[in-house]
Amino acid sequence: MLAKRIIPCLDMKGGRVVKGINFKGLRDVGDPSELAVEYERQGADEITFLDISASLEARRTMLNVVSETAKNLTVPLAVGGGIKNVQDMRDVLNAGADKVSMNSSAVADPNMITACAENFGRQCVIVAIDGKRSGDHWEVFTHGGTRPTGIDAVEWAQRVEDLGAGEILLTSMDADGVKTGYDIPLTAAVADAVDIPVIASGGCGSKEHIADVFLQTGVSAALAASIFHYNECTVGEVKQYLRDRGIAVR
Amino acid sequence: MPLKVTVTDYGVGNLYSITRSLERCGAEVEVVSDMSKVLDAECIVFPGVGAFDRTMEKLLPYRDGIRSRLEAGVPALGICIGTQILFEGSDEGSRPGLGFYRGRVVRMQGKVLPHMGWNSVETDDPILEGTPDRMFYFVHSYCGEPSEPVCIGTTEYEGARFGSLFRKGNVYGTQFHPEKSSVTGMRALKNFIDFAEAQR
Repeated sequence: MLAKRIIPCLDMKGGRVVKGINFKGLRDVGDPSELAVEYERQGADEITFLDISASLEARRTMLNVVSETAKNLTVPLAVGGGIKNVQDMRDVLNAGADKVSMNSSAVADPNMITACAENFGRQCVIVAIDGKRSGDHWEVFTHGGTRPTGIDAVEWAQRVEDLGAGEILLTSMDADGVKTGYDIPLTAAVADAVDIPVIASGGCGSKEHIADVFLQTGVSAALAASIFHYNECTVGEVKQYLRDRGIAVR
Repeated sequence: MPLKVTVTDYGVGNLYSITRSLERCGAEVEVVSDMSKVLDAECIVFPGVGAFDRTMEKLLPYRDGIRSRLEAGVPALGICIGTQILFEGSDEGSRPGLGFYRGRVVRMQGKVLPHMGWNSVETDDPILEGTPDRMFYFVHSYCGEPSEPVCIGTTEYEGARFGSLFRKGNVYGTQFHPEKSSVTGMRALKNFIDFAEAQR
């Protein structure tokens, strides 16, 4: 039986992890490569790096971080942030990433999804969707949640599937950072609308929230940051909690 | 002398994980994009990146030669697409495969595809002996359907079972990615390297 995946996410700027991290036993808690390996040891099924740097120089640093991490990691590594074209994606994959996620650039040029899928296979193309409630539906936002697009999030999810996305990373802007749980209605709506794996993101503040999103929606994976970074619980503790509730995990 | 493992580079993806993992298992790794070099290999790994036709493109001129080497008992390991090309052909492409395993590669059953993530492999074969569990990382939408008894391990997905581990002679094929499967995958790779060593 396919296990539900738990994915710690590391936000990075200039090759350093920027969200506060509180880990004992690590030489350098800001070093993404060391943190990724620690999360693998705890039982993480996959690691996501999200690069929030803007400058080109910082992006080159990011590629070095990816290759440094890939040397020591033996679970899949996904990298997102600032991917603008096929060449950007190639650079990140060549550095050692297994999957690449794109967001604003996919909205600006949806054909890029198809081009990337044709070049590298759809299994490594993740389209990240940031959705925010607007009346009776959810609207897609881009550029780190600053620009409304007028696009319906559920329709956009179906469209990116048709265009060649292999997976959707769905973040609820309403839930993100609030730590009151994943956005169940949005997550369920998107997971029901597509036949590719969906990763839930935004709002996770406890292991109960992770159980809720698996029990109440059809998502394949849950992404979380702060509960792991602040040592609130380990990946292993989350998995034991899920196992006790009959959810299949590794 | 450590075992020398020849890894085929089809020119479509990153081979870093697999080469690094094999080196960790004590093998000396040679990555070749000139497929004629596969004919002299002591041990071959067909890695798991790319689509069927793109992968076969470079192998096709050496198809008969490579198959003869596999039939002669050269230890080899296919991973994901590298396993699929060991079959006669695939629904995913129009090129012939190496045709070492009899049968074809077909589109998987299941609502949500690709089959992506960690799933368990049931087998009695010693290649997975000593692993802490049987959970491996998968990412694929096609799977091998042999017409001869080469399937030695299976995996369940959305209520159906598919072949996830194959063996014929000294040639193993995994539908999963051992190089992405943490300590469990590393142990499986080590077992394969030990197996290949024993054939020297």
